[in-house]
Amino acid sequence: MSRPVPLLSASGLTKAHGRTPALRGASVELHEGEILAVTGASGSGKSTLLHCLAGIVRPDEGSVTYDGQRLTDLPEKRLSELRRTEFGVVFQFGQLIPELTALDNVALPLLLAGTDRAGARARAGEWLERFGVRGQQDLRPGELSGGQAQRTALARALVTGPKVVFADEPTGALDSLSGEQVMTALVHTARESGTSVLLITHDAQVAAYADREVQLRDGAVTPLGVTA
Amino acid sequence: MSSLRSDLRLAWELTRGSDRGEWWRVALTAAGAALATGFALAAVALASLRGSYRVPVAAGLLDEPGTRSGVIVGLLLLLVPVLGFLGQCARIGAVHRDRRLAGLRLAGATPWQVRRIAALETGPACLLGSAVATGFSVLLLLRQWDRPTALAWVGIALVAAAVPVLGAVAGALALRRVVASPLGWVRRVGQRNGRGPGLLFLAGILLVAVVALLAVATTSTPAANRPNGGPPLQLMGMVLAVGAGAVWLSGATAKATGRLLAVRARSAATLIAAERLRDDPWSAARTHAAVLLVTVAGTGFLGIRQVLSDVVHSGRNLSASTSYYTTGLDLTGAAIAVAFAITLSGLAVGTAESLATRRRGLAAQAAAGVPRTVLGRALLLETALPLAPAMLLSGLGGTAIGAWYALLAGRPVPWVIALAPVAVYAACLLAAATSLPLLRRSVRPGELRYA
Repeated sequence: MSRPVPLLSASGLTKAHGRTPALRGASVELHEGEILAVTGASGSGKSTLLHCLAGIVRPDEGSVTYDGQRLTDLPEKRLSELRRTEFGVVFQFGQLIPELTALDNVALPLLLAGTDRAGARARAGEWLERFGVRGQQDLRPGELSGGQAQRTALARALVTGPKVVFADEPTGALDSLSGEQVMTALVHTARESGTSVLLITHDAQVAAYADREVQLRDGAVTPLGVTA
Repeated sequence: MSSLRSDLRLAWELTRGSDRGEWWRVALTAAGAALATGFALAAVALASLRGSYRVPVAAGLLDEPGTRSGVIVGLLLLLVPVLGFLGQCARIGAVHRDRRLAGLRLAGATPWQVRRIAALETGPACLLGSAVATGFSVLLLLRQWDRPTALAWVGIALVAAAVPVLGAVAGALALRRVVASPLGWVRRVGQRNGRGPGLLFLAGILLVAVVALLAVATTSTPAANRPNGGPPLQLMGMVLAVGAGAVWLSGATAKATGRLLAVRARSAATLIAAERLRDDPWSAARTHAAVLLVTVAGTGFLGIRQVLSDVVHSGRNLSASTSYYTTGLDLTGAAIAVAFAITLSGLAVGTAESLATRRRGLAAQAAAGVPRTVLGRALLLETALPLAPAMLLSGLGGTAIGAWYALLAGRPVPWVIALAPVAVYAACLLAAATSLPLLRRSVRPGELRYA
């Protein structure tokens, strides 16, 4: 029986920040429609792994393959295009642009892809509606609560209909109720659209939303099996 | 085209949604661009004259090619402090700008798109300044000159177009770090050497020098009783060489001073200032570059002025009227005073921006119990420590120019000019002190809420 081909895979990733090693030969696979949680202690290299998988930083060694393309060989322009069209990224905080309103923040990837402004804003409005922040669409990120800002960030990550969403501690800065709202919205949308999710977290309750969990220890991946 | 329109709209939305600092940047950049355009247009208008000409201003100083070349070089030298000022303006809100442009990269913008948006944020401010200055300059020119030549019009058009284009290009080039990584604002590995903006500034000075060389080569016609373009160019070369040395020295001494004092500091203020210098020594060099160049030029000029005044007032062997010479001296003095004022403004803007950028860290220090007076002293020491040795070199360079000229003219050396750098140093500390009221606001614990 042949194993299904993963949508995204990384093999033997190493990466150091200056003289501090973050990843030491990490390998991981993410399948289509799968929600994978990567857990680990602080400083274990979780975020660096996400950055390498999303093509935000290039690993020192090893390769990342997405849908048959080696991300590590792609030029910067193509990586930007992937981030704009096929990937969505959500961080703990700070990824929204403070100068733009919530609506314009969500419309941003569409505008960058050349969608006309009216069309981009209309689609962005639909996503804000879906995540319950339509009423705050004209507010700037500094005026939103943590939960509202994170749901806006989630809407921005999903507005282009990506195949993979990378979420780095998406509930890390939220209270438990807001965290639950964000995770429910993310998982529900991912299941509905068949989007794969790579979820970085140190919270066991958040990891429980995933189909599978792997643990990162000292820059290397240890499988933990199926969680759901 | 629609993509350009979309980027322009995005640039406008980003500027519109920005805080007051961004609008200050736009206004000050426009003012700097207007100054640059004004000086460059004056130089271009003079450079378009051929041979002897009757110019109704400056007591005949602009009538002959030789002295005209000197004035052109002087006007081009005025671009150096303006470049420094514009460099300081570009730093206003740089941290927030870097962060939002990195955010755009994270959302999928290509490096080219980010550069274009950054250029569209800077270009219009330069365009505004350039347009206003060109309008005023052309009106002034038409009052003085009945029928400007075609060459003059071409030069005016070139300057009016070049200033916004160069401003936009400089704005885009300043984004090397952000363009390289969408995580520019999240993670900084190792020490930045910070030499990029300094190199940009030096490239600007080099451009000014090349333009001056071309201007002198094409406008001066040597005659037996008139100087050709040689002396002004030699002087300019000397000023730039000493100034570049001072810039390097400022960075190098900032680094050495920071390293040395950090381990030996006995007061909290010195320790904070030393660590800050050690962290980013070239920031001080960039800030002080134009100050040092103006010090060289100013000190040298004071010596030359003293000697020339003696010669003129002795009334011997003068080939033109006294007013011809005194007007030249007065105009040069005014130009240096203007340059000094621009430079001090740049220094004040730079210090204020440095405070605004670090307001969260400063608020954290204040919240942790560091007295405001200590932070204020540290702020002044950050200016005072690296500036002192560089100012010494600039002062020596300027004094050497003055002394060389006195010896050339067979006059006593006016040693009093050696006091000029001391006065400049005091003025710089005063300019830095103008940001102390901002420090009071920055250290409010409320600032801790803002990233």
